[in-house]
Amino acid sequence: MKTGFFSSPHVKRLAGCMALAFVLALMIGNQEGSQDDYGLAFRQAIFSPRIILFIAIGLLVFAAMTFWPYITPYLLRPGVRPLAVGGITVLVSQTLLKWSDDGRTGNGKFNSVASKAANTDGLAPMAKLFFSNYLGWILLLVTFGLGAAAILLSLRALAWVAAVLGVVGGIWAYTSQAAVRDFLGTPDHSTGGGVALIGYLTLAAAALATALATGDIADTRAFVNRLLAWRPGMPLVVLGLIVGVIAFVQATWFSPQGSNQTLTDTKNFFQGNGLANLAYQYLAWLGYVLFIATLLTAAAASYLRHKILGWVAAGLGTVALLLSLITMYDMTDLAAAAGVDGATGPWQNLGSGAWMACAAFFVLAGAGLVVATLGGRDEQDESAPAEAPAARSSDTLSRGFSAPGSSKVFLFVILATALFYPPTATGFWQKVLVSEIGIYVLLAIGLNVVVGWAGLLDLGFIAFYAIGSYTTAYLTGALPYKPPSFLHLSPLLAIPFAIAICLLAGVALGAPTLRLRGDYLAIVTLGFGEIIRITANNNPGNITNGPKGAFGIPHPRIELGPIKFVWGQNNLQYWYLLLVLIVIVVLLFRRLEASRLGRAWAAIREDEVAAQATGINTTRVKLLAFAIGASTSGVAGVFFASQIGYINPENFVLNNSILVVAYVVFGGMGSLPGAMAGAAVLTWLPEFLKDQVPAEDRQMWIGAVVLLMMIFRPAGLIPAKRRAAELRGLNRSSSAEVGAVPEGEGMGARA
Amino acid sequence: MRTQSLAKIAVVGMVGVLALTACSNSKKSGSGLGGGASSSGATSGGTYTIAFEGPLSGDNQQLGINEVNAAELAVNQANAKGDLGFTLKLLKADDVGDPSKAPAAAAQVLQDNTVMGVIGPSFSGATKAVGNTYGDAGLAVITPSASNGTLQTLGFKTFHRIIPNDNVEGTQGADWLARKGLKKVFVVDDQSDYGKGVADAVQSELKAKGVTVTRSSVDAKTTDYGAAAQSVKSSGAGALFYGGYDAQAALFAKALKAVSYTGITAGGNGVKSSVFTKGAGDAGNGWYFTCGCLDATIATNAKQFTADYTKAYNTPPSTYSPEAFDATNALIQAIKDAKSKGSVTKASVLAAVNAVDYQGITTEVKFGADGEPAGATTVSLYTQKAGQIVSVGLLKDQS
Amino acid sequence: MTDFLNYLILGLTRGSMYALIALGYTLVYGVLQLINFAHSEVFMSGAFGSYIIIHAVVGDGKSLPWFGVPLVFILGLGSGALTGAVIAWSLERVAYRPLRRRGAPKLAFLISAIGMSFFLSQLAGKLFNRFTNNQFPTYFQQNRRVLSIAGADVSVIQLTLIVTAVLMMLFLDRLVSGTKLGRSIRGVAEDAPTAALMGINIDKTISRTFIIGGALGGAAGFLFGTAFTFSNIMGFLPGVKAFAAAVLGGIGNIRGAMIGGLLLGVVENLVPTAPWNGHAWIGIGWTDVVAFVVLVLVLVVRPSGILGERLGRAA
Repeated sequence: MKTGFFSSPHVKRLAGCMALAFVLALMIGNQEGSQDDYGLAFRQAIFSPRIILFIAIGLLVFAAMTFWPYITPYLLRPGVRPLAVGGITVLVSQTLLKWSDDGRTGNGKFNSVASKAANTDGLAPMAKLFFSNYLGWILLLVTFGLGAAAILLSLRALAWVAAVLGVVGGIWAYTSQAAVRDFLGTPDHSTGGGVALIGYLTLAAAALATALATGDIADTRAFVNRLLAWRPGMPLVVLGLIVGVIAFVQATWFSPQGSNQTLTDTKNFFQGNGLANLAYQYLAWLGYVLFIATLLTAAAASYLRHKILGWVAAGLGTVALLLSLITMYDMTDLAAAAGVDGATGPWQNLGSGAWMACAAFFVLAGAGLVVATLGGRDEQDESAPAEAPAARSSDTLSRGFSAPGSSKVFLFVILATALFYPPTATGFWQKVLVSEIGIYVLLAIGLNVVVGWAGLLDLGFIAFYAIGSYTTAYLTGALPYKPPSFLHLSPLLAIPFAIAICLLAGVALGAPTLRLRGDYLAIVTLGFGEIIRITANNNPGNITNGPKGAFGIPHPRIELGPIKFVWGQNNLQYWYLLLVLIVIVVLLFRRLEASRLGRAWAAIREDEVAAQATGINTTRVKLLAFAIGASTSGVAGVFFASQIGYINPENFVLNNSILVVAYVVFGGMGSLPGAMAGAAVLTWLPEFLKDQVPAEDRQMWIGAVVLLMMIFRPAGLIPAKRRAAELRGLNRSSSAEVGAVPEGEGMGARA
Repeated sequence: MRTQSLAKIAVVGMVGVLALTACSNSKKSGSGLGGGASSSGATSGGTYTIAFEGPLSGDNQQLGINEVNAAELAVNQANAKGDLGFTLKLLKADDVGDPSKAPAAAAQVLQDNTVMGVIGPSFSGATKAVGNTYGDAGLAVITPSASNGTLQTLGFKTFHRIIPNDNVEGTQGADWLARKGLKKVFVVDDQSDYGKGVADAVQSELKAKGVTVTRSSVDAKTTDYGAAAQSVKSSGAGALFYGGYDAQAALFAKALKAVSYTGITAGGNGVKSSVFTKGAGDAGNGWYFTCGCLDATIATNAKQFTADYTKAYNTPPSTYSPEAFDATNALIQAIKDAKSKGSVTKASVLAAVNAVDYQGITTEVKFGADGEPAGATTVSLYTQKAGQIVSVGLLKDQS
Repeated sequence: MTDFLNYLILGLTRGSMYALIALGYTLVYGVLQLINFAHSEVFMSGAFGSYIIIHAVVGDGKSLPWFGVPLVFILGLGSGALTGAVIAWSLERVAYRPLRRRGAPKLAFLISAIGMSFFLSQLAGKLFNRFTNNQFPTYFQQNRRVLSIAGADVSVIQLTLIVTAVLMMLFLDRLVSGTKLGRSIRGVAEDAPTAALMGINIDKTISRTFIIGGALGGAAGFLFGTAFTFSNIMGFLPGVKAFAAAVLGGIGNIRGAMIGGLLLGVVENLVPTAPWNGHAWIGIGWTDVVAFVVLVLVLVVRPSGILGERLGRAA
């Protein structure tokens, strides 16, 4: 084996790439093994013509890796990154995303929709053209190719052409999808056209960057920074403009069964039907006027950095937002009362347009607020003091973007999405959002305290979630042993009890195990999780109802005198409740992280002995970490139990504990946005994969994604600032093997 | 400098966007109350979808795969026959067998407006989590395997199942064991909803008949049944009843043989399958199974089903495949009935399912008012002889 | 008494399985201070690898000549070990080495291993099958009695499992304490930078550690599959238990893993079934609870396991 040939890096790399191709061939495809013939799936994968494709992929990867040094200079040119991002985005939209939700279009993806649409008479001719003869694909190839050629050859004229093509292509794609939707006439939530629009615009931006480039080396971060710093709040204004224009001109406002009505359609629809005057005026003209007024005010405020104008824009946006909501309520309520076909009640049947208008007003108001709360001119020039609060925050999300107000810009965008995107999503995604994503985000926030901040590996975290859920079940009378009936609580009132009991459980687990270090603690917590689950399942004394579980946990309700609010089957109600819970927890935990306790956690995480020497009561601090983390998952448990209405021990298996740890690490240990993003991405992914790969293979793909993520971004999606510092070398010697390992060849050594 | 020019371009681009979106939209015409174009030029003929909800990933995925394959086979066969007058599609919704994932799977099913009925959920837990969701949507649900004895009492408006529930099976099985004159019976469950349900029913009925019961449970994920088998032997019990599924029962049977236990060994519906006979081999000979199902030898097309399934999926049908096949065919029958009576809607299919009478390969599919299989109180006894499951007769006639 | 002995033998059988798997955890922990979460899939792969070979050789295996049985058994053991070694080696290359190069935080390794574990187990499911009841061909009478101790019978398979496991553990003990490879492993475990200065190739040593642990895990997969069943998800639970066993004995300590494994197996069989007459006080349903409670009790008394850490550094 010591011969020159086999130890040559090229040979090793080639072998690695071939292995990759082989594994890919095994992963992709419908082949399933059989108990009678273990070689069947192998043969299906390897001895079929398509293996050639995979070998070609392997060779391509090999070539890319080998010639990487030659490629790199080109990759640094301005425009390359957006070009790649845009190309991939359009590609994704045309391969993975749905272009129609209607069951009549096959699986609803681009190719399926295109093949149907190309043969449909009566579809708008431009849309028909777009879908026929692979034009969508050709357009993508041409735009991308022109952009790439422009970058490679530094041809500005070509770049301009590509930019124009990009804009045209994006709009064409978007309107074509809209045409299909109008044609089919069913409520539609598919994202393909919108994502394609974004992708094409990114391609256009890439081409523009090339056309206007001054240097040979791209500095995306500095560029974005300049963009953000140019006029504070301006990105929000632009976003508001785009969203608002789509909302008021093109998107669906009202979609009872069998119709998609834009704003003007909606106005005509309700004309003379007794809609409250304000709402009718809003539909007729007030909406447009409000939008333009808010937009202009916000833009002017941002451009002039005028504080008072900023306040005016914020106020105007808020008023407009409220008016929009009132209109939406009025018209849906009326439609349901009047018995419009398919109208089911207030807040139902709203298209995305109405919500997008809300989002636009929200964002514009945000822009005004950003301007209004900006420091004086002098402060901005030396932006360091103004940025001090942001710098102290745990994440690196806004680290690179130091422009004044940029963290607020991000915040407003995220809030607008969280508030106004879910109503426009499909029922499926709404359900996923409230029954999986939201809950696991809450759990990840809790576990982040234990794992990320205090550095204690907890593999049994789900036990607290179980305790919270069962506490709720008990207090609401869904278990065999019930509290006296006058004590039956609404699930929301169970929250403090669940928190208290989880706090106790956290302390009970923590107290005997605090002497243990890292991995010993991990196995003990794992054992704790299993003990809780098995006990719930074995049901000693019939306290938990065993595997039959607790059925009939009521939905939350608030009854405070005149205010009465009852949650039911509607997912959105749960979403806003969850959002409130998450926001409260996040606000509390942000304070906590910067507090004395947060710093004590960091200290014991880094070096327990030294922390003790500096006078930190490590026992107390660790116990607090356990207890606080546990209480968060108690809240999640309450929410979960009352939302699903049924729990059984199967919900609390060990695998879920491990997954929560994976979410936190995947997102970025110790970073609140990281933990949330990690949980959101990894709970979203399996549901997204439902449309992409056979259900049986979902976990395999998730495993592969997690693995790749850890290889290429070991610190997580949004690494914590403190942790990032460790990675960059402050604490490098703490893992001595790492430093000692010599450089060599490896599959993941490059890229 | 550069930023300024960029800004200009952005403004120009935005104007372009505005203009184009405005143009593209100008063709559209408004429509009055109740209007709206709903022509379906994109497709022709009726396409109806049958949804399957069950565990297609996760630890219990094989059970779901067994069922979904059978459902797919039924759909494909119905389409291939060509006399439906409509096209059937199968929508696979994966709920991981987990009650917390079931609502999302149900939402996925409900989102497709062509879905006319659901096969599943496979597990009682998942059924409890989504029974009301389907019920409120008026979507007919036929589960091939959720057998928990309380499901029919929970007020799910559209719930049906084609297998008898745990209580019936367990109670009659216990009566039979009691008639044997045994003093002591060992009851083991697999800690699952189904297994524990059956075992509880057996235990309480035996106790009522004055038989001493020793109760134990072994996690279904365990592969080592040594200690459990040894306990059965050491206890000196005259019979063992296992509440659980076939694969585990096969392991248990082997372990019992290893300690040469000689008492009566019996299991429920979940055990009676080829998975058990194949896995246990000789050790399975002499096991009894209580099952509220037809004798498979009566149904001649059961063999055909086995052959078709094996051909399509390279593997013989397994636990609950025949039940899922029957459930799907019954649902297809109901859609046909609905079509012949007029329109196919969720409501008409539901009505047709309530009235369906379909001769399947495991049972005659017919539902009572609460969605329970009609005539489910007739439980038969089967036994394994020389590696084959053979019918002994009706359980109540056995002594 | 007889019953007690029966449970004890069952416990030793199960314990020897745990011990074999635990060795894989402990070896990797020794050199890298990392829990190799994907080791359970190495164990699983051993079962599938050996099945394919054995099935190719003996088919259904009913009519095997008497001398064929040990040959086939050794063949299965060898092929299981080989598969395990190959998988463990690739695991290190793909899921560990790139992360080491990047100086990833410790938990990142845990997560990449979990990703790998999901991936391998599901890939095996896709490739072979997802049934939980795969069985080896019956090429020998597993339940035949070979020994009788005070009325308690020991069957062929039980004796084979225990003896094979003990032999392999002895072999590993010699390997680590007596050979040059063993010295380099211990060197890296003790102090990697110094070992590197002494001329030990750390990358290679780590690779080989994975290979040795993988071979033992793969062989354990074969033994486990022979005694019970095998499937693509067979690894998870024994993996967790073996990890517990490794911690119980003192993780990073080879003899500790052996003792921890055997102890855990015996405790799992004896405690829940006491007083061993079939009418248990605790019940088999509580087996895992008993195992973890014992683990916690031991760790409370001895925070670094029964024998403490020896292969690795005590921090």
